[in-house]
Amino acid sequence: MNVVIAQSDVATAYGWGLDALWNGLLSNRTAIRSTDRFAQRGFLSNQAAIVPGLEVSPQESRALAMLKRLLFPLIGKLDPKTPLILATTVGEIEYVEWAILNHRPDLALQSRPQVLLGRIKHLLGLVGPATVISSACASSAIALARAAAAIRRGDAKKVLVVTCDSISEFVYSGFSTLLSLCDEPARPFDAERSGLTLGEAAAWALLESNDSPDDRAMSILGWGNTTDAVHMTAPDRNARGLSRAIAKACSMAGRTAGEISFIAAHGTATMYSDAMELLAFSAATAAPKPIFSVKGGIGHTLASAGLVQILIAGRAMSLGLVPPTVGLAVPDPAAAAWVHNTPVDLGRAPLALSTSSGFGGVNTAVLLGGAEQS
Amino acid sequence: MIRAVSWFCADHHGVFVPGGRSWQKPSPKLSVAADILALVGRPVNYYPRMTTEARHCLCAASMALAATPWRASGNPEIGLLCGGSDGCLAANQEYFRDYVASGRSLGRGNLFIYTLPTSVLGEVAIVLSLAGPCLFIHDETRPLSALARHAREFVVDGEANAMLALWSDTSAAVCLAVDGGGDDSAWLSKELSPLQWAGEFQGLVQSRAPA
Repeated sequence: MNVVIAQSDVATAYGWGLDALWNGLLSNRTAIRSTDRFAQRGFLSNQAAIVPGLEVSPQESRALAMLKRLLFPLIGKLDPKTPLILATTVGEIEYVEWAILNHRPDLALQSRPQVLLGRIKHLLGLVGPATVISSACASSAIALARAAAAIRRGDAKKVLVVTCDSISEFVYSGFSTLLSLCDEPARPFDAERSGLTLGEAAAWALLESNDSPDDRAMSILGWGNTTDAVHMTAPDRNARGLSRAIAKACSMAGRTAGEISFIAAHGTATMYSDAMELLAFSAATAAPKPIFSVKGGIGHTLASAGLVQILIAGRAMSLGLVPPTVGLAVPDPAAAAWVHNTPVDLGRAPLALSTSSGFGGVNTAVLLGGAEQS
Repeated sequence: MIRAVSWFCADHHGVFVPGGRSWQKPSPKLSVAADILALVGRPVNYYPRMTTEARHCLCAASMALAATPWRASGNPEIGLLCGGSDGCLAANQEYFRDYVASGRSLGRGNLFIYTLPTSVLGEVAIVLSLAGPCLFIHDETRPLSALARHAREFVVDGEANAMLALWSDTSAAVCLAVDGGGDDSAWLSKELSPLQWAGEFQGLVQSRAPA
């Protein structure tokens, strides 16, 4: 059974909608800016990729504010029984901040991801099965895979996947503590890369079965989920976990890695994570393939990162055009044959790989295909 | 199919194997590294930094895994799933409270790394060398049977050979060892906390023990 992304939308620091994201990447200008939100805190960086034009009500989380606007066009349009999967790292984490800063411990319970899940159900009028999936920065990629699995299994005809993570003092301070933040916009796969930039994003995708041969939608062909089982925050430097995930995705799809047209990489711009990915890619394919990372443009959007880059991969497949890696100046020698700072016109790009990794050593690879060129 | 059920709480721990050898004992103090080593049977490198919940989960997962034939049958790819109504709320509060108390400029990395619902699973995966899928699932239907169903789906879908499904909070952890075959999780459909489930399983083992 063929599972496709029938509809989708996204909000990133480039703005609202996939066109804004696509055009932002093609402009090769970053949407990462200095922010004064945490100016007094003395963190390692003041760089962030923040969704513009967001109106947040008092005592409302940024995550919910993003989702209310992004999901508005879906209100009343879905079968109320449509299953819902929410992918998030930690839900509405501001409630933990408010609980502690205002000595209101009762507020902390509202940070739990299932509370946000309930709010989305209420917003959309959904009454069907609803699930939260969290798997660090691979959350939305694995949620997409679970949704596709449910449709293939015959458990659902359509599944709505929603993802969101916002920039908060909680998350910003944590990454600063781990010395992960770059003091300039992130430069994935660059020889001089020195860390990630945090970003925020929200996205949704409506998956459904569709075996129509003339369909233009992007298909979810296969996926693989693995764990490094090596380190809590650092990747396996031998890339065994991601290599197995890629192999599993290809095996499920009945394709070989050599057939892949291009790769939407996780590309955080941290030294070891980028190196690990390059090792996995070079082990999987005999010849270099064009790769790109969106994180120099929109930062690392945590749970949302996987779905965001998959939506970009869909646009890239439909146009046969691989976007540039924003922020790339001098490629890391290991990346030189793979990564580009200008668009790569492939003409045809029928098969794409998207990879995600995260804390705890999680890896997800998703093989995408089927988007016809326009 | 559920191969084994294990639990660990402050008072007792044990394993229930449907149709097999089940046991339960008083719990050792997990503040003593030697006690956790005896239970897990492997070195636990980052033991001092692990939260109480992580220690409970590690013990429960170790016992469940040891009660299965999986490792003996060629080290199949085993995944990890966890659920729980609070996710990592306690760890989130601990991190941010400490950060605020320290002047809001620098947090503690050893606390921050536990602020994901899958953080505990990361530790378990490292110690037990589990390389399959690893994720937190909160299903609105809540009961342990839903977690068992999700775990079984990973096997049926061909994403793992077997899954360990953990249901935990700061007071107790229970673990289901699930592989292919039929769905036999209906007996886990009560809405109970991890500590209540631990009590249920203890009672089950005691009732089946020879007089």
